[in-house]
Amino acid sequence: MVGTHYESINRDYIKRLYKEIKRRADMENRINSAWLKKLFEKSNDIVVRPIKINQNNITVHLFCVDGLINQALFDEAVFRSLKFDPYLAQCKTERETMDYLLEGGAYHVFTIEEADYQLLVKYVLSGMVALIFDSEEKAIVYDIRMFEKRSIQEPSEENVMKGSKESFIEVLRMNTALIRRRIRSEYLVIELLTAGRLSKTDIALVYLSNIANTNTVNKIRSIINSIDIDNVSTPAFIEEYLIENRHSIFPQIMYTQRPDRVSANLTDGRVALLVDGIPFAYILPCQLPMLMQSPDDYANHFLIGSSLRIIRYMSMILTLFLPAFYIAATTYQSQMLPVQLALSTQAAKQNVPFSSASEVLGLLISFEIIIEAGLRLPKAVGTAMSILGGLVVGQSAVTANLVSPAVVVIVALAGIAGFIMPNQDLSSGIRLIRFIMAVLAAVVGFFGLTAGVILLITHLCSLDNYNTAYISPFVDVEKRNIKDTIFRFPVKYFKKRPKDVTGNKQFKQ
Amino acid sequence: MRKSLIIIIIMLFFQLYGCSHDMNRREIDEINLIHVMGIDYKEGEYVLTAIYSSSQGADPEKGSEGDEEVSEGRGSTPFEAFQNLKLKNKKSVSIANTGYFLIGEDAAKKNIEKCIDFLSRDETVKMESLIFVTQGSEASYFISEGIEKGQIVHEDLEAVEQKQQELVTRNDNTLVNILNEIENITTGVIIPYLKAEENSFLLGGYAVFDNLSLVDYLDLDTSAGINIIKNIIRAYPIYLDDDVALSLSYSKSRIKSELDNEQVKVVIHVDFETMVKEVNVNEDIFRNEALNNITEMQNDYIINIMKKATNYSTSSGRDILQIARLVQNQHTKKWSEIEGEWDNMISDIQYEFDVKSKVTKSFILGVGSGGFE
Repeated sequence: MVGTHYESINRDYIKRLYKEIKRRADMENRINSAWLKKLFEKSNDIVVRPIKINQNNITVHLFCVDGLINQALFDEAVFRSLKFDPYLAQCKTERETMDYLLEGGAYHVFTIEEADYQLLVKYVLSGMVALIFDSEEKAIVYDIRMFEKRSIQEPSEENVMKGSKESFIEVLRMNTALIRRRIRSEYLVIELLTAGRLSKTDIALVYLSNIANTNTVNKIRSIINSIDIDNVSTPAFIEEYLIENRHSIFPQIMYTQRPDRVSANLTDGRVALLVDGIPFAYILPCQLPMLMQSPDDYANHFLIGSSLRIIRYMSMILTLFLPAFYIAATTYQSQMLPVQLALSTQAAKQNVPFSSASEVLGLLISFEIIIEAGLRLPKAVGTAMSILGGLVVGQSAVTANLVSPAVVVIVALAGIAGFIMPNQDLSSGIRLIRFIMAVLAAVVGFFGLTAGVILLITHLCSLDNYNTAYISPFVDVEKRNIKDTIFRFPVKYFKKRPKDVTGNKQFKQ
Repeated sequence: MRKSLIIIIIMLFFQLYGCSHDMNRREIDEINLIHVMGIDYKEGEYVLTAIYSSSQGADPEKGSEGDEEVSEGRGSTPFEAFQNLKLKNKKSVSIANTGYFLIGEDAAKKNIEKCIDFLSRDETVKMESLIFVTQGSEASYFISEGIEKGQIVHEDLEAVEQKQQELVTRNDNTLVNILNEIENITTGVIIPYLKAEENSFLLGGYAVFDNLSLVDYLDLDTSAGINIIKNIIRAYPIYLDDDVALSLSYSKSRIKSELDNEQVKVVIHVDFETMVKEVNVNEDIFRNEALNNITEMQNDYIINIMKKATNYSTSSGRDILQIARLVQNQHTKKWSEIEGEWDNMISDIQYEFDVKSKVTKSFILGVGSGGFE
């Protein structure tokens, strides 16, 4: 009997608890000013404020974030119409008021009705203004965002002599506009996606629907939708999800500051990603030759462009292998050096107490330290430190017989050559591989260097990026895309798009 | 991923395997890099004389090479002498960077193959190293005399090499080339010889070897004849009766062989061009008549030079023009029949010359002949 009593009490309690949870859940998913007030009561910048709009006792609630809205536009487009519009005074219900505002009563072009609580919160927290209609459990959202932002400036990393001087900024909508201005095609799609549970960062997926490979677009979209992190605070957060081979040191996403570069890649069938708050665009799928290209190549005569590219590829080989070659040649196989060079190297190394490997590795590490220190210091101090580090210390080290002059030249040459890469991620990756090559050469000479080269080539060949070989078109059976790799052929020869990027839509014009 | 892992493991295995064996790890400053090596035969043993740079006088900042030092090794064979040389040196010795090998006259007379066999078996030696014979003396004498006179021997030899490149389009006295010629028993070996001048070395003609032993020295004209026939001549002066001097600027030769009843007939076609370099007559040599006359005269001049080479070959019975290789290539089937008799056939080879030439680029600054008007 007692047991039954307890059972009935428990059942009632569970029912009540369930009802309460359901009520709260319903409350949480309904658009209601009281709930919003309670939710944001501790947030000083969130405004939830009643506004009586006419003589019919209709009160709406203003819901916005102070500091993210355009005050002047708010007064003009929202507040003024609510207070002084004579037609609004004739509306008797909230529904009528909403309909009037949506049908043109609102003095603003970007006005929508929103019934989804989650979306409403997202809109308002991104800077829009909402008018809450409690009885309708709906809101009208005005896009009158305005926050402090940079103006469009020259690209700091990809500046060119001839060509556009515009670069992306931190505001997503501005960036999409820069692309749209360059591609006035009805096929240009700018899909808006969101990532970050708390940050709810907007990400624009940009592609040309008639050219881009649908599988690639779908794959990227599903990856972004599956990103489950709290906050997209740095580019690396998105990059790591989009990269297919996370263990590789080679950059598999190309980033650019230049809208013209994005538009060129879009017309090649690639997909761009713009993240709100990041002044770069990501381009996928990415291949190694893309990272060796610079906008300058296309801004100049094709012969000049080609020669610049050849220099870049030569520099890549130089920076990767020169220190390792020096170590191997001076420690193991001196016969690799021409007679005169061997003799002068031998003379330069006299009285230096360290081995060639120690000299080169030591200087390479010193070089990295100088670079890292230069980045952290203010510009004026950085220049002074470069002189101190590069010239004074370098010269003193030679005079003190700590390093031979030949090693200083080798490391300096390799270091400078490394910075010729147009892509900084690639440059950093190559700098790291340079160390590995130098260590391999120090251990077993040219044998190690050869092993390193084989491993490097194997690794590069194994990289696959959204069904595209990373070192394509060097490994492609069809050689047509080679026209825009080491050499930059005249534009008239660029008649087809990369097959593995676009699928069957290959013909350009 | 698994593939990469397997590859890494395999590479690591190879690397460890390599590390466990002698990888010949030695810093470049711990080695005496021999620039020039002399090979002699005296008093019944082989003597190797090596020149290398010492650290004394070297300026690390300027990269200057320091003073030249000489070291000597002796042994019953060249290799034994090299081992002796290694033992005598404080640092380890390497012939990996040796650019020139000088072979003394006696060593060359003894056996050229014996002199360079140990070099061919050294994995570090440069196969493009040049070999010269020192005429009338030992290589060690050349080296010691040179150093005594304040010469930098390897720089002087570089100058000789440059002069050689001015005369011929390719150096046939590289180690690899001479090894090939030695291997081919039917071909006569010829190596350029050096003469010691007051303060430098002078490039002579070719030293001729028979059965791998030095037998003769050819003069410059005969050597030039060989170069023309072998199609390696780059430049050569032509003096026509003290009146006109020309310089051969382009030459192309083609050799055809005919084999009839064990009688070899060789037809040498030569097309060449010359430039007028000196005119010591008052008449205008650029008239058609005069030019035709000069052309004929220069043809005869070149034919005479080539005849010197062919006459030497037929009179001595030494195949210095490498006709055996030509016949072998052009008459593969018949060659096997006559191969054994080739040495006797050399003296009976009939040579025919077909020479065409023209005079180009006269560089006349004024009107007329450019003579002494």
